[in-house]
Amino acid sequence: MVTTYPIMMSTVAPKKAESGVATPPAAAPEVSEMASETSSPVSNAIITVKDMDFCYGAKQAMFNVNLNIATKKVTAFIGPSGCGKSTLLRCFNRINDRIPGAHISKGEVRIKGKNINEEDVDLAQLRRQVGMVFQRSNPFPKSIYENVAYGLRVHGESRKSVLDTAVERCLTHAALWSELKDRLNANAMGLSGGQQQRLCIARAIATEPDILLMDEPCSALDPIATSKIEELIFQLSNDYTVVIVTHSMQQARRVADDTAFFYLGKLIEFAPTMEIFSNPRQKQTEAYVRGQFS
Amino acid sequence: MEPEKKADAPFNAKDLIKPKRFLGLHVDKQNIIKWFFGSNAGVTIVVLFLIMFFLAREGVGFLPTYQWELSVYRLAGLEFCDYVEKPISEQVAMHSKLKRALGAELNTVSKVDRDRRDAALLAKSRIEDKVTLQTEPLQEALKAKAPPEKTDPLRVALTQATTAAVSTATLPAIFTAEEQIQLKAELSALQPDQAELPPFLKSLMAKSAQKTSEAKLKYAALISTVDAFDDTAEKLTKVHSEIKKIALETKEAANQLHMAEDAKKQLLEAATTAKTEAEKQAFLKDAAATSLAAIDFKVRTQPLRDKLPELEKLIPEYITAIKKAAEGIPENAETPEARKLISQVRTQLPKHLSHVEQCTQLMRDWDYAKPVPITQSLTSFLFGGDWITNSSWQDFYGVVPLLTGSCLIALVAMLISMPFSVAAAIYTNQFASLREQDFIKPTIEFIQAIPSVVLGFIGISVLGDLIKSISLLPFLSWVPGFPVQERLNMFNAGLLLAFMAIPTMFSLAEDAINNVPRAFSEASEALGATKLQTVFKVIVPASVSGILAAMLLGLGRIIGETMVVLLVAGNRIAIPDFSDGIGTVFQPAHTLTGIIAQELGEVSRGSSHWQALFMVGILLFCISLIINFFARQVVKRFKFHKS
Repeated sequence: MVTTYPIMMSTVAPKKAESGVATPPAAAPEVSEMASETSSPVSNAIITVKDMDFCYGAKQAMFNVNLNIATKKVTAFIGPSGCGKSTLLRCFNRINDRIPGAHISKGEVRIKGKNINEEDVDLAQLRRQVGMVFQRSNPFPKSIYENVAYGLRVHGESRKSVLDTAVERCLTHAALWSELKDRLNANAMGLSGGQQQRLCIARAIATEPDILLMDEPCSALDPIATSKIEELIFQLSNDYTVVIVTHSMQQARRVADDTAFFYLGKLIEFAPTMEIFSNPRQKQTEAYVRGQFS
Repeated sequence: MEPEKKADAPFNAKDLIKPKRFLGLHVDKQNIIKWFFGSNAGVTIVVLFLIMFFLAREGVGFLPTYQWELSVYRLAGLEFCDYVEKPISEQVAMHSKLKRALGAELNTVSKVDRDRRDAALLAKSRIEDKVTLQTEPLQEALKAKAPPEKTDPLRVALTQATTAAVSTATLPAIFTAEEQIQLKAELSALQPDQAELPPFLKSLMAKSAQKTSEAKLKYAALISTVDAFDDTAEKLTKVHSEIKKIALETKEAANQLHMAEDAKKQLLEAATTAKTEAEKQAFLKDAAATSLAAIDFKVRTQPLRDKLPELEKLIPEYITAIKKAAEGIPENAETPEARKLISQVRTQLPKHLSHVEQCTQLMRDWDYAKPVPITQSLTSFLFGGDWITNSSWQDFYGVVPLLTGSCLIALVAMLISMPFSVAAAIYTNQFASLREQDFIKPTIEFIQAIPSVVLGFIGISVLGDLIKSISLLPFLSWVPGFPVQERLNMFNAGLLLAFMAIPTMFSLAEDAINNVPRAFSEASEALGATKLQTVFKVIVPASVSGILAAMLLGLGRIIGETMVVLLVAGNRIAIPDFSDGIGTVFQPAHTLTGIIAQELGEVSRGSSHWQALFMVGILLFCISLIINFFARQVVKRFKFHKS
């Protein structure tokens, strides 16, 4: 599906955005007046974003976003700070509901074809199917075992055998089982940063979600831990649809099948990763991936 | 060229030296400010240690003083007397309970008619009071044997006044309308020189007397049992009061001697510091004149020991007598009050008998000369069940009644304030909208602004009556302790203290919950947990140490609070009667803080009582210290690893 920005809008949008979302960097090139292709043609889309505007209270943060995310692929969102990539990610499991005043003002987000902002959506089930890993590792101050079992417990699972199996499966999946199997009852706060983040991934996949959202999962980690997480993401993409927000273009290049570039609350370009980095169609994308502004 | 030239230039270190800034000294302004702040902290700590030092100094003197008092208590034989005293006072208490039970039983028959009689007599005396002005001249005239023509107008005036008074009087509803008319008529016609009461009044009196005698007849068995119960201890009491007198005289002599010793010591001291020789001689003379004849306690306590055979004989007699009297106590009673009292006596009786049996052995083993170790003054302070001061017999400083009072009140207060403050904190922090938060937080914190004396006043004037009237509601009679006897009781005080502690506990608990990183709740919600699940599975467990610390600090505040408990707790110095179960909290009590506030102003400085109050202060200090220590430990136990 191809959507075209009206030329007028593209020129007006940055000014609108200036008020709240982001100030364009001094070196930022002008927003292209060319029509932009905002969604790659995928037939097996699991997440569909259509004509979406997003506001924090009165401040508009995202403008007319159209996006189709393919199932069981890794999709990366890149773009400078404040461009709205995290905001969009957080729309997919409606965690933005926590922020007072944040809401989708136009358009819709569909997951598996269902508009998730409709009244009859079971939020607990949605979040069970759309897992999330945050920028900073945030394990609960509980034991490792309880951290992984938490998601199942809140969904009413209390059989020990089921929990035990799930904990082992998820920790194995997150490449933690061999390291931690002897101290499952130790407090998760005592793990290293990288281990904590992998534990958070294990926790997120315990509820067997279809989609895994990752909000800059490596930004607080050292290079070795980062490479382990990236390896993990690569493996996870066999079973899950992964959407990852990242600041690092190298990371996007390494892990993502598709990449979306955002700028000032707008989706500028969405294409297979190779294309974005080697042959971007938009000027801004080109400038960004070459490191001319950030 | 140039760089070389620069290198050649001679060093000038002048600008490296600190300029003279403060009063021409090489002192940095920064340092002065630093010292100022440091000294403030230091002074505070020094003051704390000084307070601890003086508290300890005043209190520690208590131990030898109390030891001396306890040894006199033994030497003079007061201890010996108290061995008998204890069973006797138990017997008196049981007897009074039986008497109350009997009264309740008698009332079932005689109360109605007695009340009617009393109401009529009350009405009569009220009306007589109102017409004194008219009665007096008539009485004088009658006394002077004045002729009827003189007294008649007076009689008319009196009758008019009486009729007027009667017409305004209201009679209680226990009289029917007809009876009221009759009674009013009789009252209006009353004359001071009347020989007999008018017929209706007379019939009321007769009916009451008849019912009373009926009641006495009906409960003759119980009456005789109670009388028999009373008689059992008669002989024992007589012997006891004899030996008591002897012991008290000995104690008085010992006290006199002690005072004389003190006086002599002071005189001798004064002599050494006297300015002139004449003064010195005068002091020495006075000192020599002070006689210090030692008291021979062995001789003085001999009469007590002489009574031992008699007591040994009397006690088995008493036991058989009381067992026999107890047989007459009925199995069941008609009124619930009597039933309750009788069952209390029944449970007390076996304990009482064992006390009586022990008392013989105690008296045999008693030795006036057995020394009192100094540790005993500490143990009898900490574990003693009596706090008796200004007694003509013996003062005891046992802190247990006060400690139980303080602890029970604190328990009540904690049980009430904990759920309220924690629930309010959770609601405010997790569920309330911003506007609600802006309303709830300042409002709850405003409670702290209420002076505790005002709260105490509310406790006396409002809460006490409220509790009492609620406890009288018939459908609440299943609540233990209801109906409440005393308006001022531990529950009342606990309720107010809970109210006072809630702001502290609420604020600190709310802070603790607020300190839980948002990331935790975000992670929990991202896993599909509901708000409630998040609160109870993540946020409360993560903040539990802070919440506990808040509760402990609230407890510290509750234990230390003085004014409210002094005003509201009822100030009865006795270990509460735990036989009421949970209803115990509706009994009055005294507290550690209250006793200091109440008694410190009235004791003479340096006396054993004064020192005992300081010991209570030290005990309070220790309790607060322990609570604070535990609060710190709890906080330390768990801290978030903030990455």
